[in-house]
Amino acid sequence: MEIEKGEFVFLIGPSGSGKSTCLRLILKEDSPTKGKVVVNGKTLNTLSSRQVPKLRRTMGCVFQDFRLLRNKTVSENVAFALEVINKPKRTINKVVPEVLEMVGLDGKAERMPHELSGGEQQRVAMARAFVNRPLVLLADEPTGNLDPETSQDVMLLLERINRTGTTVVMATHDSNIVDSMRRRVIELSMGKVSRDQSRGVYGVGR
Amino acid sequence: MRVNFVISEVATGLRRNLTMTIAMIITTAISLGLLGAGLLIARQIAEMKEIYYDKIQVSIFLNDDITEDERLEIRSDLESSGEVEDFLYESKDEAYARFQQQFREQPELVANTPSDALPASFRVQLVNPERYPVINEAFAGMNGVDEVKDEGDFLDRLFGLLNGVRNATIAVAIVQALAALLLISNTIQLAAFNRRTETSIMRLVGASRWYTQLPFILEAALAGLLGAVLAFGGLALTKVLFVDRTLAGPISAGIIPPVEWSSILTISPLITLAGVGLASIAAYVTLRLYVRL
Repeated sequence: MEIEKGEFVFLIGPSGSGKSTCLRLILKEDSPTKGKVVVNGKTLNTLSSRQVPKLRRTMGCVFQDFRLLRNKTVSENVAFALEVINKPKRTINKVVPEVLEMVGLDGKAERMPHELSGGEQQRVAMARAFVNRPLVLLADEPTGNLDPETSQDVMLLLERINRTGTTVVMATHDSNIVDSMRRRVIELSMGKVSRDQSRGVYGVGR
Repeated sequence: MRVNFVISEVATGLRRNLTMTIAMIITTAISLGLLGAGLLIARQIAEMKEIYYDKIQVSIFLNDDITEDERLEIRSDLESSGEVEDFLYESKDEAYARFQQQFREQPELVANTPSDALPASFRVQLVNPERYPVINEAFAGMNGVDEVKDEGDFLDRLFGLLNGVRNATIAVAIVQALAALLLISNTIQLAAFNRRTETSIMRLVGASRWYTQLPFILEAALAGLLGAVLAFGGLALTKVLFVDRTLAGPISAGIIPPVEWSSILTISPLITLAGVGLASIAAYVTLRLYVRL
């Protein structure tokens, strides 16, 4: 299977079908036992562990459980992603407010994560994933913990990110979202691609 | 590298496992202190050897009733012997004077020793101290000779004992070091577990392995450094409270060389290097083997 630059792709399938594993392979958190993974022209199978951080700097990640640092404020959480890859302070001070404004949290930069709603926390996570302008954004059930309305906000944000040219790969169970977005759908079952459909829906016959 | 970030990471890490950190520092300190003590004893031994072996190897003690002729004969034999590097004659009076000087800290001993108790002797320095039996054979049977004594023999036993003390100290230091290393390894695993959210996010956004691991390694290194400082303090206290007080007598009598501040200062960089180096290596190995960062 191949995903083009700038595409928006849903990965669907029942639990255990390999959606998360697929994302982990793209991140090189796991290595495939068979086959080849190529990201941005680089073959990951032969990538040395030294090169992995460099690969990950071209990607952003969002998870169902947000994965924010509880003892840091919203803006510190976003800044953390830049600090640990040695971005200069000037750049950080400039881009963090920008990206927080983009996700609609510019008024809550100094709040702690536990003071925010689930949707807001997920938007912080998305800001952190996007602040480095990645080529690829991987989202593993980003709406799994959110109510339908908040999920809609998150999807709008993902679309906006996609429009900037970032490839978005989203693993999800949420049929409503998949059906309403009408994007490419790749269905996995038992670790194999069972369907690959552009402008697809969640289940046939729904 | 963002220095503030790393420093604050190290500080939180150490604070979170305070009890483990304290245990780690104490064990390291004991190990390094013993290592330092071993090194100091080794230095002392070397210095003592210089003092003693340089002085005299063989004493030929003379009978009190030796005649002038017999003494002259021994003297001329010593002068003509190829084995003898140098010698000096010590009369009974001189021997007593030296005794008084050496034990002036113990006046009772001096007072209880009659002034003619000590024999006159030839103090002989050999070309090769190992050749003592030859001298013994040549002079032991001569008229007027009471006893030929190899001072080196006594010294060998003394130094054998001191070497044993040194080796035992260093052996205990090594066992302690092993305990310290295991403790460091444990603490680092705990610290890594406590901060797994941070480190997993760091790895996810593409922080280098070095960047993720450095705070942990520095944590261990800092503990090693504190251990070394404590060990240094311990050695300094031992010098001031034990060596300088309890051993004051023998030291001023010239029997034991004093422990100089300069020798403690010379070994302190060694101790520090050992502490910091071993702790960092233990942390690094732990991170590579047991913790997936």
